[in-house]
Amino acid sequence: MQVAVPMTPAKGTSQATAQSRSHDTEEARELTGSQILCEALIREGVELLYGYPGGAIMPFYDALSSYSQLHHVLVRHEQAAAHAADGYARVTGKVGVCVATSGPGATNLVTGLATAFTDSIPVVAITGQVAWSLIGRDGFQETDILGITQPITKHNFLVERVEDLADIVHEAFRLAQGGRPGPVLVDVPKDIQQGKTLYRPSASVTSIEHFRSTRTPQIAPGAIARAAKLIAQARKPVIMSGHGVILSQAYTELQTFAEKSDMPVITTLLGLSALPETHRLAIGMPGMHGPAHVNKAIGDADLIVGVGLRFDDRVTGKVSEFAPHAQIIHIDIDASEMHKVKPAAVPIVADAKEALSALTEAIEPGNHEAWLQEIRGWETAANERGTIVQGQEYPDPADILAAIRAETKGEAIVVSDVGQHQMWTARFYNWTRPNSHITSGGLGTMGFALPAAMGIKMGLPHETVWVVAGDGGIQMNIQELATLKQQGVAVKIAIMNNGYLGMVRQWQQFFHNQNYSETPITGPDYVKLADAYGLKGMRITKREDVARAIHEAMETEGTVLIDFVIEAESNVYPMVAPGKAITDMIEENTEEI
Amino acid sequence: MANEKPGAQATARSNGGEISAAEARTQSITRAGQSNAPEGAARTYRLVIQINERPGAVDRVVGLLRRRRARMQTLTIGRSEQPDVARVTAVIDDSEVAVEQVVEQLRKVVDVQQVTLFSSEQLVERELALIKVQSDPRHSRAIIELGQQFGAHVADVAPATVTLEITSSTAQVEQLVQQLQPFGICELARTGSVAMTRAQ
Repeated sequence: MQVAVPMTPAKGTSQATAQSRSHDTEEARELTGSQILCEALIREGVELLYGYPGGAIMPFYDALSSYSQLHHVLVRHEQAAAHAADGYARVTGKVGVCVATSGPGATNLVTGLATAFTDSIPVVAITGQVAWSLIGRDGFQETDILGITQPITKHNFLVERVEDLADIVHEAFRLAQGGRPGPVLVDVPKDIQQGKTLYRPSASVTSIEHFRSTRTPQIAPGAIARAAKLIAQARKPVIMSGHGVILSQAYTELQTFAEKSDMPVITTLLGLSALPETHRLAIGMPGMHGPAHVNKAIGDADLIVGVGLRFDDRVTGKVSEFAPHAQIIHIDIDASEMHKVKPAAVPIVADAKEALSALTEAIEPGNHEAWLQEIRGWETAANERGTIVQGQEYPDPADILAAIRAETKGEAIVVSDVGQHQMWTARFYNWTRPNSHITSGGLGTMGFALPAAMGIKMGLPHETVWVVAGDGGIQMNIQELATLKQQGVAVKIAIMNNGYLGMVRQWQQFFHNQNYSETPITGPDYVKLADAYGLKGMRITKREDVARAIHEAMETEGTVLIDFVIEAESNVYPMVAPGKAITDMIEENTEEI
Repeated sequence: MANEKPGAQATARSNGGEISAAEARTQSITRAGQSNAPEGAARTYRLVIQINERPGAVDRVVGLLRRRRARMQTLTIGRSEQPDVARVTAVIDDSEVAVEQVVEQLRKVVDVQQVTLFSSEQLVERELALIKVQSDPRHSRAIIELGQQFGAHVADVAPATVTLEITSSTAQVEQLVQQLQPFGICELARTGSVAMTRAQ
């Protein structure tokens, strides 16, 4: 049971607010833990936080209303707070912050933290905890959130003394951002929030440099020269660019390196948009739903320069048959990624930006035009960005994506959920703007897109943000429509509604004898639903109405939800069966259509 | 137990600007970090993990060893020469994960200060065991004499049992336990290994 205390956004200038403005002075003041928490967040540059009050975090919420610099967004479920903080961090490069009470509030954050952890996103979660004296007694709303989140955070803290609180908050921010980013949780018992101590802002700067996890590693001597030598010898090299390139914002460095070396560039799901897909060297996405020519290129390649990727199983397929002829130069900021899945000939533990610059400098200009043409020759009509479903009256997923792209001139940030629509979006959108593609890649969290989009839009209020979701995933955090309405935040939502948990149905079709066990799904009337939330909704059932609907959504103020009723049983092609080699693809059977 | 991989080396400190174990290796690596060892090639390793004495630090190490599939044979936790730093000695086998992978993963744990991977030539290794052996007046002398051959002390004598205390290498402890089996072992408590490098 969480006690929802109505929050009045305080715009006044209370005494505490006036005091917080002077946080650069040396003067020590006696503050409560809750006030210190607010002060420390402000010192870290936090402006937005997503959360939900409840018993054990109430002292913090009491103090919060006096700090007008901190804009708190009351979500409708704590999972959404974690996803919103995650989305905010993905596009701003800053740390996203979410807040929850103890017990169920904290456990509701878990999926969001795991999502951020798997995709290396800097998030700080603040959770209330029962009073120190009650810990271990199974108090009301007590859970061991440290134990629960230990494997899904970079680190977590239980604050034992109010005197330590400020330092811990600053440590949490350093840890979340440093090295390979990730979520950090700070659990604050209620009595620590209420306790008082002298707070001197300038004293609470922690020396956390001894933590390896916060540092950017230096490139090992000789590694760049060894890599350059392999690059010079390669006849069929490819670059595989992953999320690390986006996290490092190494877009220019990637393009410069690709152009100088003249290597074809493959971008993983989370690496999409780092290099414009219109670039002559951009060949597409690898793996389970990558187009055939990309997987064939990997199969034929004699060198892979992998940058900021971890050779996840959705990329490699059967590892023993992945890139059988290729040596690997592996660049990653995390040393534990080296050799983890594929042994690398040259491991380079470094930030992507730095390593790509160094490599570019070390190599001679290359020419791989013949190899590029060979790959282009494998491209088939099915891989072209066109229609997904032929000869149907229903809106075509590719048309929907093309219309969003046309309407926004490719400038929108598109947030996809998880499933078939996610793969269509990845494959057919034609990404040209760096970091415009946001999705839960590693954990594959359904329900991610809508709350993440809220965080993205609030982080970059002048950008257009589109959600593309399935009719399964959208129902997992649909309650956030209320938050969007309350906050006056406008995101545009396209539901690709096929009445199925489509990706699971596709697997059932291929691997379970079309036994569509528990995949047919109904939804609400989305037009009425949007209306009930005070938002505009549309239902589009005809192909010719797609572009008009997208245009109308853009012309309409506020959040708009469009229910695109699509063909029920269209599939994502090609597909590599789990555990198979990526060169062993299930291609589209045109007779079925 | 002592089948070390030849050439396994103590790795550099984790808290400097050092090169990772993966990068430092010059010979080419053929086994992926997170994969099974080839049939019959699994080996045991001793890891010394120095951790900050903060709540949860041991959990983090133990949890990581489990998640990354390092099979733990023994684990000891105790104080070190530095205040606020605990020393964890873990004996693991690499049947399901390469030891270098475990080392690099451990180094990411915030409360881990240093991870050292030992080969047996480089280290002094000891464990302590208390062995309660069934006895009667006819056998007690033989039990005590056997123990003395291994440098064991008598910790406790009762009419029906003799409890020996041995501090020695793991191999020696195992031998003594084996040789005491015919008398009947009532209870056995072993600490697991602690280890440190030999002075040069």
